[in-house]
Amino acid sequence: MKRIGWLEKWTLRFAVMGLLFLALAILEGALMRTQLASAEQSLGGFETLLMRLRVGGAEASPATLFYAMLTAHPIVGIYGFAYMLVMGAFYFLVPYVLKKEIRYRSLVPVNFWVQTLGVLVAWGAGFFVLFNGLYTLYWPLPVAYDRVPLVGSIVFGAGLVVTELNVLLFVFNLFATVLSRSASDPPRPGFWRMLAATIGITQNLGITAMSSAVGPRRRAEELPVFIVAVGRGSIDTMINAVVMLSAGALLLTFGLPALRGIRLDPAMINPLLYKNWFWWGLDMIADGNVLMYTAGTWYLLVPLLVGRKLYGESVVRTVILADLLVSLFVWSHHLMADRPQPFGLRLLSGQFVTWGEFVTMGLTMFSVLMTIWLARPVALTTPLRFVLGSIFGFLIGGMAGLIQANVGLNLVLHNTQWVIGIHAHTQLLAGLSMLLFAVVYALVPMLTKLEIRSRRLADIHFWLWMAGALLMSYAMGMAGIRGMLRRTLYVDSPFQPYMIVAWAGGVLLALAFVAFLVNLVWTLGWSNVVGLVLPERRGEGEPARA
Amino acid sequence: MLAALAFNAVTLSPLIPWQQWLLWSHPAPDQRIAVEMANNEIRLPAEGIQIQTGTFVEFVATSKDVTYGFGVFRPDGTLVFQMQVVPGYENRMLWKFDAPGAYTVRSTEYSGPRHPEMYVRDAIHVVPEEASR
Repeated sequence: MKRIGWLEKWTLRFAVMGLLFLALAILEGALMRTQLASAEQSLGGFETLLMRLRVGGAEASPATLFYAMLTAHPIVGIYGFAYMLVMGAFYFLVPYVLKKEIRYRSLVPVNFWVQTLGVLVAWGAGFFVLFNGLYTLYWPLPVAYDRVPLVGSIVFGAGLVVTELNVLLFVFNLFATVLSRSASDPPRPGFWRMLAATIGITQNLGITAMSSAVGPRRRAEELPVFIVAVGRGSIDTMINAVVMLSAGALLLTFGLPALRGIRLDPAMINPLLYKNWFWWGLDMIADGNVLMYTAGTWYLLVPLLVGRKLYGESVVRTVILADLLVSLFVWSHHLMADRPQPFGLRLLSGQFVTWGEFVTMGLTMFSVLMTIWLARPVALTTPLRFVLGSIFGFLIGGMAGLIQANVGLNLVLHNTQWVIGIHAHTQLLAGLSMLLFAVVYALVPMLTKLEIRSRRLADIHFWLWMAGALLMSYAMGMAGIRGMLRRTLYVDSPFQPYMIVAWAGGVLLALAFVAFLVNLVWTLGWSNVVGLVLPERRGEGEPARA
Repeated sequence: MLAALAFNAVTLSPLIPWQQWLLWSHPAPDQRIAVEMANNEIRLPAEGIQIQTGTFVEFVATSKDVTYGFGVFRPDGTLVFQMQVVPGYENRMLWKFDAPGAYTVRSTEYSGPRHPEMYVRDAIHVVPEEASR
C-alpha cells in the first residue's frame, strides 16, 4: 500500500473501530436471539462465562441479562458502529469535496478516542453493570433504583454525556470546516449567510446571490449538494446530542446524590413532557440525520460511481430543506399509543408529518435511481450494488414505518415486533448498514490506492447480508402482526418458530460480516491493519492548525 | 401521491372498525373498568371483568410508579388494542368487542426486568349480548 496520509489513516481507524462495534452489536444480537429462540431461555456456555465478569451477574435472572443487553445493543449499533463510520467518512469526504482542510485537525483524534470511550462506558453500564433502563429511558424508570442498578444508571448517564459532548464537538468541527476559508479563497458573504447556505436555506428562500461584490457571483447552489445534506443532517445530529445529553445529565443528577442516600423525587419531572422532549431529540436520528446523511451520501457516491451529474439537483436542494420540517415536527409518531398526548399532535405530527418522509425520501430515491438509469450502461460495481441494496432497505423499512405511524393501525402495531423488525431492523440492517458498507467499499480504494481484493467475497457479503437482514426483519415483523411484543421475553411462546427463523437470519448476517472482514483485511494486508493501531511516527502527523 | 392520500383517507375512515367510535361517533361508555398498575403488577377489578359484545366499555388505566402498557389479546395471541399507561394520567381507551371469548391482558411496555411477568391470562370475559339477558 502506498503510504497514506494522516487524515486517511484516521478515517480508516474510525472505520475499523466502527466495524469492531458492529461485531459487538452482532454478538449481543446473537446472545439475545438465542434467549428469544430458546424455549427454556437457558444460557449457553459463552453467557455463563460472561456472567462471571459482571457486577452481581451471578444473581442476575435471564430477564435481567436480556434487558441489560437490549440496553447496550442500540448504543453500540448507533453511537458505536454508525456514528464512528460517519465521523470517519465525513472527516475525509467533507474536506475532499470542498478541497480544503479540516478546520481543527486536533479534534479528529479527540473525536475518535472520546467516542470510543463514551460508547464503551455506556455499553459497559449495560453489559457489565446490568443497567436495564433501555435506550428509551422512559421517565422515571432509569432512576427507579428498585428496578435498575444505581451504579449502572450513573455509568450509563456518564457514557451518554461523554458521547454526546463528543458528537457536539464533531458537528462543530464539520461546520467550522465548511465555513472556514483559506487566504487564497476569494472574499465571500458573511458567516450567517454561509451557514444558511450550508443547510440549503439561502437558495430556497430565493436569496440566491451570495454576493455581488466578489468577481463571479457565488451562489448558494455552488456548495456541493453533498455538503448541503451533511450540513442539514448535522442540525439533527446537534439537536439529538443536546437532548440525549440532557437525559444523561438527568441520570447523573438523580444518581449521584442517591449514592449518598439523598433521593430526589422523580415526580418533579412530568413523564409525558419528558417523553415528548426525549423522542423529539431521539427521533432526530431515526427520522433526521440518518435520512439526510444517507441522502447526501447517495448524492455524492452515485454520480461518482456512474459518471453522471445528479438528476434533478435543484429539486433535491429544496427537498433537503423541506426535510427539516419533517425532522423538527415528526416526533409524535412515537407517542401515538399515549392517550394523554393531544390528539392533534398524534394526527398531525405523528401521522401526517411522517408522510412528509414519503415525499422527501421518495424524491431522493427517484433522483438517485434516475441518475443511474440515465447513465446506462452502468457497471454494477460493488459500492453501487450496496447503494442499490440500501435504497431497497430504506424503501421497505420506510413503507413499514408509514403503516405503523397511523392513528388507526398503531393501536395494533405499537410496541410489537413489527415496529422493531420490519421497520427498524430493515432500515438499520438493509438500509443504513448497506450504505455504510458501500462507503467502505468506495473509500478504501480512494484512501489507499488499493482495489478491493475479492469481488466474489464482496458478492457473498452482499447477498448473505441482504438475505439475513430480510429474513430476520420479516420473521420479527410477522411475529409482530400475530401479537408478539418487542421488549418482552416470552416463556413458552407460540412465536418461537418466528424467533428461530430470525435467529437463522442473524447467523447469515454474521457469516456475511466475516466475508466482509476477510476481504477487507486481505485488501489492506496485515501489516497495514496493524499499522492502523500504531501511533504515527514523528513528522507523520501534521501539526494541528487550531 | 394518490396512494398516500387514499391510505390516509381509508385508515381515518370508519372502514377501520375502531375509528368509528374513537374518531367519529364518541359514544358514552356503557361500562367503565379501572385498571391499576404498580410495582410490576396489574390490578384488575376483584369481581372480574365481564363485557357484552356490542357494548362500549372504557378502560381507565393508571400507574403509581413507572410507565407500563395495557394490551388486550385474543385467545389466539393476536393484539386487540393497546395503549401506554403513563404515570400521573388517566389513560383511557374506549372499546367495543365483537367476538365472545376469554381475552388476556398484558403490559405492553417495558417497566423493568419483571415486565414479562405482567400478564393476566383470560382476564376479560366477553359474552354474547343475548346470553347475558
